[in-house]
Amino acid sequence: MIRDDLARLIKAGYNALGELEFTESSHGYLLYHWADRNSLPEAEVYHSTDDAREIAKFDSSGAYRPLKGAPNLPRGWLIELTSIDALQRALDYFYPGAIASWLAYHAGTVAPVCLRKTLNRQSGMYRVTRQLTEDQAQDLVKEACRSDSRCLRTILWGIEENQSPDFLPSSKSDPTVDQTGQERAALPILCLEACNLLVAAARTALKKSPR
Amino acid sequence: MTNKTKSSLVLVGHGSTLNPDSSAPTFQHADEIVRRGLFAEVYCTFWKEEPSLREILRMVEGEDVYVVPNFISEGYFTETVIPRELELAGPVTHRAGKIIKYCEPVGNDPRMVDLLLRRAREAAPNVPEEKTSLLIVGHGTSLNEKSAEAAQSQVRAIRDKGLYAEVSEAYMEESPFIADWRQNTTQPNVVVVPFFIADGLHSYQDIPVLLGIESSPTAAASQQEVFRRNPYPLEGRLLYYANAIGTEPLMADVILDTIDRFDRKHPSASAA
Repeated sequence: MIRDDLARLIKAGYNALGELEFTESSHGYLLYHWADRNSLPEAEVYHSTDDAREIAKFDSSGAYRPLKGAPNLPRGWLIELTSIDALQRALDYFYPGAIASWLAYHAGTVAPVCLRKTLNRQSGMYRVTRQLTEDQAQDLVKEACRSDSRCLRTILWGIEENQSPDFLPSSKSDPTVDQTGQERAALPILCLEACNLLVAAARTALKKSPR
Repeated sequence: MTNKTKSSLVLVGHGSTLNPDSSAPTFQHADEIVRRGLFAEVYCTFWKEEPSLREILRMVEGEDVYVVPNFISEGYFTETVIPRELELAGPVTHRAGKIIKYCEPVGNDPRMVDLLLRRAREAAPNVPEEKTSLLIVGHGTSLNEKSAEAAQSQVRAIRDKGLYAEVSEAYMEESPFIADWRQNTTQPNVVVVPFFIADGLHSYQDIPVLLGIESSPTAAASQQEVFRRNPYPLEGRLLYYANAIGTEPLMADVILDTIDRFDRKHPSASAA
């Protein structure tokens, strides 16, 4: 069970995922934004995994967060959860599938899918993305996926088949690196395949590029 | 419905990178089904939000998995995008120790007609139906003809009931176009019901502009104080605009019936 593996990882010392931190408490688990770790008494307290879903939906200015990996979670909240099941569910609302993907990657049951393969299977309005050149793709990913402002995922795929993501800073594809720069014992949010937002960005980039 | 407490349920929604309300109906029905304790686990996944269709089956731990598209019609998404992204072989897929059962979209349920009529009456409770045009508006797409066929079959079914003076259809991306409603309806009252799951980007923000009741797209429904101010007087006629049908609480039952229908249609898969 994923929850048992999560409990094991917490026991092993992992206490962070993306911008989140979590600790065991006398009643279960506490979940909060890392930047609030020294000001938790002032945080607004929540108790439900549904609250996690709502908190993850908007940034501090109230803008919609369609990309969950974006480093712009709001601050000032604390979720008290009573079970590992609830913690797992809450983590999945903040970073959907991050724990499952990490476990599957370690178990060897999933492998990264190169960007070309992702683009080549697109249809409809995204079919055009098949035309993205390798250079265009590298430029796009370098900007659209950067950890300091766009997405905290750790990219494991290359542009073409059997390529590594060596066009990125080595830290961006290293699962042992905390992408927030905090150097915590963080579980990585693996990016095993380009997301729909990147595919959409590829479409936009192609439409803007001179033909 | 039969016992599914060892089965997993995955609801697939379209989602949106622009509108925060698009995923709400899918989560709402998942929450209701969780509350009833019918399945071992219930997950939502989206084409344009996370968890993505590529990730979701890693999260699902059960071996008997029902996938229900929370889509209004068969078409491009249910026939092309979802099967491709989930790597499905058909209605029944065996992979990595899992049996994945791909159900019909919720919009195939026969109760859609009643839901559309209910929305029409909520939006315009006191209009004389004999002096009213009912306009069902769908997405429509050149990518798959079934999208419009689904709306057409609703229109035929409502027309057969003989309630409204006129019942017609219109689409965003194919003819007859929504923007031409003035020419394509004849009655002094026009009730427009979006044949959409969510009050999201298309039904809440795009279609009101096409109808002429907004000059530019408004903020998302959840970020407004008032949902709609019906009726809208336009060129001597009164136009009423209804909510999308996907937020109806009854949709949770529609999802469960969709699963029952799958089991009846594929008895050998369900016995597995």
